Amino acid sequence: MEALTTFAQLLVGGLLAGLVFALVAVGLTLIYGVMDVVNFAHGEFLMLAMYAAFGLALVGIGPLVGLPLVAIALFLFGIVIYRLFVRRLLAGPPEATVFGTFGLLVLLQGAAQAAFSSDYLNIPHPPLQGTIRFAGIAVSQATVVEGIGALLLTGLLYVFVEFTETGRAMRAVAEDRVAATLMGIDVQRINGLAFGIGAACVGAAGSLLMLSYPVYPTAGAPFALTAFVVVALGGFGSIQGALVGAVIVGLLEVLGGYYLSPELKMVPVFLAYLVVVLLRPQGLLGRR
Amino acid sequence: MRTHLVALAAIVVAGLLAAFGLRDAVLLDLLFTLFLYATLGQSWNWISGYAGNISFGHAIFFGCGAYAAALCVTHGLSPWLAIPLGALVAAALALVTGFPTLALRGHYFSIATIAVAALVDAFVRVSPWLGKANGFELPIAPGLANLQFADKGPYVALALVLFAVVQLATMRLERSRLGYYLRALRANHAAAASVGIDERRWKLLAFAWSAAIAAAAGVLYAQYNLFVDPPSTIALGISIDIALIGVVGGIGTLWGPAAGALVYVVLAKGVALKLGGTGKGYDLLIYGAIICLIAAWKPHGIVGSVVDALRRRRAAASETALERAA
Amino acid sequence: MSALLQVRGLAKRFGSLRALDGVDLDVEEGKLTGLIGPNGAGKSTAFSCIAGATKPSAGSVRFRGEEIAGMAYHRVARLGIGRTYQIVQTFAEMTVLEAVTTGALLRHARLADAAAHAEEVLAFVGLAEKRHRLGRILTIADKKRLEVARALATEPQLLLLDEVMAGLTPAECRDAVDLLRRILARGITVLMVEHVMEVLMPIADAIVVIAAGKTIFRGSAADAVRDPQVIEAYLGSPLEHGEIAS
Repeated sequence: MEALTTFAQLLVGGLLAGLVFALVAVGLTLIYGVMDVVNFAHGEFLMLAMYAAFGLALVGIGPLVGLPLVAIALFLFGIVIYRLFVRRLLAGPPEATVFGTFGLLVLLQGAAQAAFSSDYLNIPHPPLQGTIRFAGIAVSQATVVEGIGALLLTGLLYVFVEFTETGRAMRAVAEDRVAATLMGIDVQRINGLAFGIGAACVGAAGSLLMLSYPVYPTAGAPFALTAFVVVALGGFGSIQGALVGAVIVGLLEVLGGYYLSPELKMVPVFLAYLVVVLLRPQGLLGRR
Repeated sequence: MRTHLVALAAIVVAGLLAAFGLRDAVLLDLLFTLFLYATLGQSWNWISGYAGNISFGHAIFFGCGAYAAALCVTHGLSPWLAIPLGALVAAALALVTGFPTLALRGHYFSIATIAVAALVDAFVRVSPWLGKANGFELPIAPGLANLQFADKGPYVALALVLFAVVQLATMRLERSRLGYYLRALRANHAAAASVGIDERRWKLLAFAWSAAIAAAAGVLYAQYNLFVDPPSTIALGISIDIALIGVVGGIGTLWGPAAGALVYVVLAKGVALKLGGTGKGYDLLIYGAIICLIAAWKPHGIVGSVVDALRRRRAAASETALERAA
Repeated sequence: MSALLQVRGLAKRFGSLRALDGVDLDVEEGKLTGLIGPNGAGKSTAFSCIAGATKPSAGSVRFRGEEIAGMAYHRVARLGIGRTYQIVQTFAEMTVLEAVTTGALLRHARLADAAAHAEEVLAFVGLAEKRHRLGRILTIADKKRLEVARALATEPQLLLLDEVMAGLTPAECRDAVDLLRRILARGITVLMVEHVMEVLMPIADAIVVIAAGKTIFRGSAADAVRDPQVIEAYLGSPLEHGEIAS
C-alpha cells in the first residue's frame, strides 16, 4: 500500500515536471519546425528569463504577476537575436546554426557569470509555500502551479499555431519555405516571430520555475538538455510530440531518480530515447 | 601536400624548441593544452567533419584512454600499455555504439551521442572498479618508462608528437578511399550508395579510428594531470569543447582543428589567466563572442574559408590555362 | 538467351496507395530500352525499385539471373548497375574530378588508379576542362553529364538514366543523344526513363510503357505510337495532351 502511494506520488511529480519540460520544449520545437534550427542557447534564454523574474521579484513583482512581462521581454529579445544573428547563420552551411547558437550559449553564460557571479539566487518571500494533500499524495503548491501553468501556456501555443492566421503561415513555412514565399508569406517575418515566440515560451517557463528553483548562470542548461531529448523523442518540429515526449521524460526522470538514485535519474530517459530512435528514426510523432 | 608537410615540420621544430626552451609553467601548460585539443579536435573531425556525423559525446573516447592509463598504473602495469589498450577499448566502444546510431540523420544522431555519453558517464559513476565518482589519483613516479615527467616540457613534446602523427594520418585520409567516401557520404548519402558506398562500413571504420586517436590523447592527459575522474574526462562539457574546436576551425579541413584549438587556448584559457583566473565569466564571454562572430561571418570556419577561396582560384586558373592553350 | 535485366510483377505500396501494381519489363544486353508513361504512372518508383533505392513490396528484379529486389542499395552498384537521378544529386562540396573519382573507387581501391580512370571518363563525357569546378556550380546540363560520368566511373554493365534529357535545350539534347550513342557503342546496356516519348523514338531499341502502375506495352517505338492502349493511356490524362508527339 505504501509502495503504491509512493508510486502515485512519483507519477504526479513526474507528470508535473513533464509539463514544465513541455513548455520549454515546445519553444524549441517551434523554432526547429519553422527554420530547421536547433537553438542550443535555449537553456540560456531560460536562464535570462529566470534572472528577469528574479529582478522583478526584488522590486516586489512576484513571478506570476511578472510572467507576462518576462514573456514579452524574451519575445522581443528573441526577435532581436533573430534579426541580428540567426538570420545571418541561416545563410551559411547547416553547421553554422549549430555552432552559432552554441557560441550564444557560451557568451550568455559568461555574461551572466560576469554580471551576477555564480551564486545561487532565490526570490525573496516566495509565494505558494503550502502543500496540497489528497489520497495520501502530497505536492507543493508551487509545483502544481508550475505544472498547470505550463500546460495552459503550451495549450495556448498549440491553439495559436493551429488556429490563427499567423500560425497557419508558420506551418506553411515549416512545410515548404519556397512555396510559402510564392504564396506571399514574408518568411523572414515568420522566422523572427517563431524565434520570438520560442523565446517567450522559456520566458514564461523561467517565471514559473522561479517559484521553486534558484537561478545561477548555468541554471537553464539541465532543462535545455532535457528539452533536446524531449524534442528528439517526440520528433523534431512536432508540438504534440513535444508534449508527449515531455510527459514521458518527466515520468522517467522522477521514477529513475527515486528507484535508481538521484544522480542516475537521466539513465532511463536516455535509454528510452535510444530505443525509440532506433525503432523510429524520426521520433514518436515526427515526419520523415 | 608539400606545403602541408613543410608547415607541419615548422610547427614540430618550433614546438620542440618551446617545449625544451621555455621555463614558464603556465605557458607550457597552455602549449600542452593546445596540442592535446588540436589532436582531440582532429579526432572529432574524422567522424564529424569529414563524415558529417556531428558528435556531442566524443569525450567518452578520450575517457577510455584516461581510464586505461589509470587502471594500468593502479594495477602495476606500464601506462605505455594503456595506449594500445585504451585505443582498442575506445574503438570497440565506437563500433558497438556506432553500429545502430551512425545511420541516424542530423540532430537525431547528435542527441544519440549525448545519450550514449551520459550512459557511459553513469556507468563509470556506479562502477567501483572505475573509481565511481571519485576517480583515480595516480602515484607520482617520474621516468620515461612510467610516461611521467617532473617537468612539463617532455609532456608538451609528446603531445606535439601525437599531434604531428595524427596530422600525417589525416593527410593520408584526405588522399585515400576512406576520405573520399566519407566526404561523399556527408554530401549525399543516397548518391553515395548509388556508387556502391556502404555507409555503415566506412563510417564505422572512421569512427573506430577517431575513437582510437582520442584515447591516445586521453592516456597522455591522465599521465599529465595524474588525476582522472568523470568531470575531467568524460563529461558533456569536454565533449562540447572538442566539438566547438572542430567547427570553429572549419569542419572537414586538415588544419581546422589546430586553428580551433589555437582560438580556444588563446581566448578561453589565455584570456582567463590574464583576467585573473576562470570563474568570473570573462573568458566565456569572449570565447562565446568569437564563436558567434565566426559563425555569422566565416560560417565555414577559419580554415574552411581559406580552403574555399583557394579552391575557387584553382578552378579559375585551370580554366584560363585551358583557354590559353586552345 | 535471357535478358540482362528481367522485371516481373513488380509492386510497391505506400500505405494504401498502390504506386506499382505489376510492372514487367526486359532489358536486352547491349540495347537501349526506354521506359515511358504519363505523369504519375509510376516510372520513378519503378526506376527506384530497380536501382535498389526503394524496396519493392512484391515481384522480382533479376540482373544477370540474380535476384536483386530488396538488396541493399550499395550492393546493387557493386553488381554492375549505375544510375543517375531525375533531380540531380551531386556531391556539393566536391570538384568534378573528385566526384567522378569517388565513383571510380568502386573498382580501383588505390586513389591514383581511380583518379586516372576518372580522367578517362571525364574526357569521354566531355567534362575534362571543368574537372576542378565544384559540382554545385555547374549548369544543369553539366550536372547531368557529371552524374552520368560518376555512374560510368563505377564501370556498370547496365546504366539506368532517369530523365537525363529533361530541362535541356535542343542543342544540349543533341549532345546528350550523341553521348548515349557512344555509351552504347562501348557495350553498356541502357535503361532510360523519359517523360517525353519523342526523345526516345530515334534511339530506343525497345520501349516499355507503364500506366497506373502496370506495364501496358512492350515492343518497338514505332509500334508504341500506334498501340491503342498506349494512346488511351496518354490521352486519358487530359493534361498530357500532345505529349506523345510533341
